[in-house]
Amino acid sequence: MSNGNAGGSLRRFYVVFAVVAAVGLGAVGYSVLGKARGSAVSVPVDLAGAVDGQELFEMAVPVTIGDEDAPATIIVFADYLCNHCSIFALQIKPLVEETFVATGQARLVYYDWPLNPTLGSFLAARAARCAGDQGQFWEYHKVLMRNQLTWGRLEDKIPTFEDYAEDLGIDRGEFRGCLNSDRHAQEITANMQLAQNLRLGGTPTILIGTGDGQSRRLPDYSFQTIQAVMEEILGG
Amino acid sequence: MNDGPGLQEFHPPLNRMLVAILALLGLLVALYMSAYAAGLTGPVLCNVGNCEAVQSSPYSRVAGIPVAYFGAVGYSILLAVSLLGLQPGRRDSTVIPLALFWGGFVGVAFSAYLTYLEAFVIHAWCQWCVSSAVITVLAFLASIPELKRMGGPS
Repeated sequence: MSNGNAGGSLRRFYVVFAVVAAVGLGAVGYSVLGKARGSAVSVPVDLAGAVDGQELFEMAVPVTIGDEDAPATIIVFADYLCNHCSIFALQIKPLVEETFVATGQARLVYYDWPLNPTLGSFLAARAARCAGDQGQFWEYHKVLMRNQLTWGRLEDKIPTFEDYAEDLGIDRGEFRGCLNSDRHAQEITANMQLAQNLRLGGTPTILIGTGDGQSRRLPDYSFQTIQAVMEEILGG
Repeated sequence: MNDGPGLQEFHPPLNRMLVAILALLGLLVALYMSAYAAGLTGPVLCNVGNCEAVQSSPYSRVAGIPVAYFGAVGYSILLAVSLLGLQPGRRDSTVIPLALFWGGFVGVAFSAYLTYLEAFVIHAWCQWCVSSAVITVLAFLASIPELKRMGGPS
């Protein structure tokens, strides 16, 4: 290559570089500022074709607390617009956590089951997951359960969900961006589908799994029932 | 017009041009995914694979920081080094070959780990993550001629 060609090749490189940079930054900018900004997904989404049991189980993503090697797993399926789920979340879950999770006897596994997705419980489940992205799932979960009679009646729930997030110290902008998208829609849909495939009756449904892969569905969600089954499992 | 004494004596290495273009492409991908992670975009554009499953998984963050941010920083460094390596007087630098080669190697190792997670842990693919992995491998391959320059001026 001659010296003149060397300078020319560098110039051509900079032209190509500038074109790629301009086109790429334009595309990224459009996705941020333009119509790519979507609306909040508030209903279940298509799980992309037929999903078999194993595949669905892998797509369903619960939120968990406790030791993964705990001898028992307390599995909860709940809906943010269900009154009994609120009672479980605010009164029973703290007891379960204190008695079984904190002591390493059980792991708590939470699956969303929005029974009234079009009334806002699907959006609420997504909001809780968006809060979870910033490490505040359980705090937000509690706020939603405590205030379900307030936000449940609102036509536009998003500003209130954002207020709840801000009150917890969550970054409002990031939370809003998450909510105004389809993020977490698939895993929540898979959680719902899993509950339906398991033919669970309603919310809240509590199952207790043991290490051998078996699980027992509880007849109610009272702490006494959970305690009795746990004692049976741990004692046996 | 005179190109100046430095440019006239300098033959810009083609492989560094290629690394620069690849690093730019990788940076654009990482910027888009960072914008998505920061909640600045709507639903992620995903024609191939299941980007939402990957981006929603716990593995999309390291110590609470979105993986895309690490990508943006890594590609920015690679881009800066490769552009620096194209400047007259920098051809015989011993630092630039080291930075390009080992930077590319670290990028490939990190991409391999993320690809492993997609294939065997998350069981879902994200077209942007795969694109980034391919870009990283190509940039690393393009940095292999730097091995000859590590010893200093030839």
